[in-house]
Amino acid sequence: MSALLPFAAAGNGLTDWLAGLFPAGVPFWILGLLGAVIAFALIMVFVSVLAMFSTWLERKVAGHIQVRYGPMRVGGWHGWAQAIADGVKLLIKEDIVLADADRALFKIAPCLVLGAALAAFVALPFGPNAIVADLDLGVFFILAVSSVTTLGVIMAGWGSNNKWSLYGAMREAAQVASYEIPLGLSLMMPVMYYGSLSLHRAGEMQADWFGLHWYVFSDSFWLAIPSFILFFTAALAETKRSPFDLPESESELVAGFHTEYSGIRFSFFFMEEYAAMYLMSAVGTAFWFGAWNFPGLELLAGSALYAPLAVTVFVVKSMILVFVMMWVRWTVPRIRIDQVMTMGYKYLTPLCLILVFLASVWEWAKAALTGA
Amino acid sequence: MDDTTMERPLREGERLVELDVRTQDVEINMGPQHPATHGVLRVLLRADGEILTGAQSHLGYLHRCAEKIGESVDWLQYLPYTDRYDYLSAMNNNLAYSLAVEKLLGIEVPERAQYIRVILAELNRICSHLVAVGTYGLDIGAFTPFFYALRERELLLDIFEKICGARLTYAFIRPGGLMNDAPAGWTDQVRAFTDLFERKWREYWDLLVDNKIFVERTANVGVISEEQAIAWGCTGPMLRGSGVDWDLRRDQPYLVYDRLDFEVVVGQGYRGTVGDCFDRNYVRMYEMLESNRIVRQCLEQMPEGEIQHPEVGLVLRPAPGEAYVGIENPRGELGHYLVSDGNKIARRLRVRGPSFSNLALAEHLLPGCMLADAAAIIGSVDIVVGETDR
Amino acid sequence: MASLQQPAAPANERSYWGNVWQAVKSTAVGLGITFRYLWSKPFTVQYPDEKLPTDDRYRGIHYLEQDLCIYCQACAKACPVDCISMDAKRHGKELEWNFFRVDYQKCMFCELCVYPCPKDCIHMGREYALVAEDRSEFVLELTTWQGLTEAQKVRVAEAEAKKAAKKAAKKAAAAAKEDKEGEEK
Ligand code: SF4
Ligand code: SF4
Repeated sequence: MSALLPFAAAGNGLTDWLAGLFPAGVPFWILGLLGAVIAFALIMVFVSVLAMFSTWLERKVAGHIQVRYGPMRVGGWHGWAQAIADGVKLLIKEDIVLADADRALFKIAPCLVLGAALAAFVALPFGPNAIVADLDLGVFFILAVSSVTTLGVIMAGWGSNNKWSLYGAMREAAQVASYEIPLGLSLMMPVMYYGSLSLHRAGEMQADWFGLHWYVFSDSFWLAIPSFILFFTAALAETKRSPFDLPESESELVAGFHTEYSGIRFSFFFMEEYAAMYLMSAVGTAFWFGAWNFPGLELLAGSALYAPLAVTVFVVKSMILVFVMMWVRWTVPRIRIDQVMTMGYKYLTPLCLILVFLASVWEWAKAALTGA
Repeated sequence: MDDTTMERPLREGERLVELDVRTQDVEINMGPQHPATHGVLRVLLRADGEILTGAQSHLGYLHRCAEKIGESVDWLQYLPYTDRYDYLSAMNNNLAYSLAVEKLLGIEVPERAQYIRVILAELNRICSHLVAVGTYGLDIGAFTPFFYALRERELLLDIFEKICGARLTYAFIRPGGLMNDAPAGWTDQVRAFTDLFERKWREYWDLLVDNKIFVERTANVGVISEEQAIAWGCTGPMLRGSGVDWDLRRDQPYLVYDRLDFEVVVGQGYRGTVGDCFDRNYVRMYEMLESNRIVRQCLEQMPEGEIQHPEVGLVLRPAPGEAYVGIENPRGELGHYLVSDGNKIARRLRVRGPSFSNLALAEHLLPGCMLADAAAIIGSVDIVVGETDR
Repeated sequence: MASLQQPAAPANERSYWGNVWQAVKSTAVGLGITFRYLWSKPFTVQYPDEKLPTDDRYRGIHYLEQDLCIYCQACAKACPVDCISMDAKRHGKELEWNFFRVDYQKCMFCELCVYPCPKDCIHMGREYALVAEDRSEFVLELTTWQGLTEAQKVRVAEAEAKKAAKKAAKKAAAAAKEDKEGEEK
C-alpha cells in the first residue's frame, strides 16, 4: 500500500508528476515509458504483497473456520511470515518442464495469466488521485483484460500434456465464457446509475452524505443489493473460486490446469488467483460500496493524510470482500460443470436481464422526474 | 432441416467433402494416487469429454494376505489383524471375528460384556459414518464439514482410548468377552458424548446435507435400483439406501440387539430418486442418530458383572467344525467363515467384506455419468480399500 | 433446521424460484455456521508445545519391570508378529541379561503380550513418539541391563563382601590361634 503513495500524492497522475521532476522538453514518450515502468513496479509490488497477505489470510480463515489454528510457527505471531517462507520456497524450487510438454505454451502460460491480471489493475481507482490510468471505459477494460487469463489457463492445460490439466483448461474455457455474460450484465445496474463506465467517476459520485452515499445505500438500493449478489456470484466463477473452482477441482482433477507446474511458475498461477480475487472485489467496492469514501474522510481533504487514508479505506474495503470470497469457499461444496452452465445461462443471465430492465425503467423515471 | 442431412442426393454443382474428423475417448487413470479414491484404489475411466463411457476398478494395491495370515497365527493372535481390514470400524471387525470364534467354541459371553460390545460397536459405527460423511463432503468439494466430523470423532477416539488404550486399531473385543472392563467414569463420558452429538449432528445436516449444491450434486446421481442392489450383493447403507429394509442387527439379531429399540433407516428418495447418492448419505446420517439412541439404551440397561467368559483363556482350541457369523458393519455385512480342526490355529479363515461387494457395483454405475460424478459415486459407496483388498 | 426425526415425506420437487430460494437460503445457513466457528476457540492444540495427556490405559511403547521378569518367554510367544526377542543367562536365582528387545517396526501395540505374563511385569507405556532416522533405531531395548542390574550388582557385591568378611574373620581367627599356639610354645 505504501508503495502507492508517490502517485497518490501526485496530483493528476503519474506522468504529470514525472514531468515535474524533469526539465521541460523531455519528450512525452520517455515520460510515458518511465511512467509505465514505475506503474508496473508499483502494481507488481502491490500484487506480491497482496498475494502474500491473502494466502496467509486464506489459511487463517480456513483454519479458524475449521476449528483449528492455521499457520502458527513461522515468524512468531500467528505465523505471519508463513507466506514469505512459502514464497521463498517456491522461488528456489526446481522449475520442472515435462519432457513431453509443449515447452513454449507451458512456459508462456503462467506469464500470460499473471500479466493479464496485473494489466487490469491499471484502471483501479485506489483513491481520488491514485489511479494509473483513469479510462473512460474502466470497468470494460478490466473485464476485457482479465478474461485474457482464460487464454493462459487453456495454454497451460494444453501445454502440460496431461489429461487432468486438459480437463481443467476445458472447464475453465466453458465456465469463463459463459460467466462473462452475467458478470457484464450485473455491472449494468451501477453503470446506469452512474452513467459512466469509469470506476473513478463512480467513486467521485458516491462521495455525498459525508461519504456514505454508496450505491447500496442510494435510492436504487433495491437494485443494488440483488445486482451485487449476482455480480459476486459471477465474480466467483470468473476467478475460479469455490464453489466454481472446477478448473482445479481438487477431488476430481487432482489440481486441474496447474497439476504439472512447480516452483516459480506455479506461484504465478497462485498470485493470479489472489490478484483476480482482489480485482473483482475492488470493482465491487468501487461500484457498490463507495470506493474510497468513508464517513469522516472528507474532513481531511487537502491534508497530507487524505490520499494515503483514502487508499487504505479502499484496500480494506476490497479485502473485506476478498474475505467473503474465502468464507464462501470454506462453506460450500463444488458445483458440477453442467450445473455451472445451467446456473450461468438459466439463472444468473435471466435474473440479470430482469434487473437490467428494472434498472433502466427506474433510472429513466428518475431522470424524467428530476431532470425534466 | 431436411436439406442439411447427409443422406440426400447431391444437387447439381454440389460435391461431397468428407472431413476427416475422428474422435477418441480419453482414458484416464483415477488413482492409485488420487484425492477422491480414498486410498489406493485405481479406477480406469474412459470418457467422452466430461461424460464417462466406461470404468474399471483395479484392486489389490493394499493386499496384505489377511486370510492367509489367519491360517498361520493362533485364534487370539489373529485379532489385531481384523483391525486392519476396515481400519475405520475396527471394533466391529473385532466383534465379527469374536462372534464367529465364539460360535465355534459354542459359548455365550456374559451379559455385561454383551452390552459393552454393543456400545462399542455402535460408537464405532458413528465414528465410521462421521468419516464417511465428512470425506463425502470432501469428494463433493466441501472441506469444512470434514473437520467438524473429525472433531466429534476425536471425542469418540478419546472414549475408545479410555477403555482400551488404542485410538484406531483396538484389538479389544476378543473371543470370550472383552480385554478389559470399562474404567470408572467411562459411562459418564459416553453419556456426555451422546448428548453432545445430537447438537453437532444438526450442524452437519445444515452445513452439508441440506446445502443446495450438495443436493444437486448427489440427488438422482448413481441410482441403484432395489433389484440391482440385491443382485450385486450390496449390504449396509448401500442396500438400505436403495430402499431395501434389511439390517442384520434386526433381522438376525446378535448380542442384545433384540432387546433394544431402534429403527432401520431406509432411503426414501428424500431429494431425488430412491437409491441415489443422496439416499446413501442420508441413511448414514440417520443411522448415526439411531446408533446414538442404541448407546443410550445400553447405558441404561447395562448390568454389573463379569466381562469375560470363565472358560475361555488365551489359547483357544475350538472343537473341529465350521462357523459363519455375519454382523452389520458400518459398511454392510462383515462375515467370517471359520473352519477349525481342533488345533490352536484356524484351518481356514475366509472374510466376507462389505466394501468389496459394494465396490463391484460402483464401477457399473459410472458409465453415462459425468467425470465429477465419479468422485461422488465412489465416495457414496464409502469403501475402505484396506478391506476391499484385505 | 435439521430435525432429529426422519422426514416423513420426500422434499424433492423443484421449481425455478424454489431452486433460487433454496440455494440462497442454504448457503446463508452454511455461512452462518462457519462464521460462528470462525470466532470460536480452535479445537486443536499446538502439538509439540502442548501435548494432550494420554490415558492410563494408553497403549504406547512397553515398559518392563525388570526385576520381576523371569525370562519365561511367554510374552514373546503370544506376540502375533514375533517382535519380542530376549536372551539371558541363569546364574541360579539371578538372571544375567543379555538383551530384551522389542522391534517397533513390527509391533502393532495390540497388548497381546501383556496378558500371558506370569509375573505381570510387562506393560504398555504411555509414550507414543516413535521417531527415528534409521530403521535400527526402532529396535528398542526394554531394559538398561548390561549383564546384571544395578540392584543385582548390589546384592551380588553385598554377598561377596559378606563372604570376604567371613573369610577374613576366619583367617584372623586362624592367625590368632596360631599366634597363641606360638606363644604357648
Ligand atoms: S503389543 Fe502386540 S505386537 Fe507389540 S510386542 Fe506386544 S504382542 Fe507383539
Ligand atoms: S512373560 Fe513376563 S516374565 Fe515372562 S519373559 Fe515376558 S516379561 Fe518376562
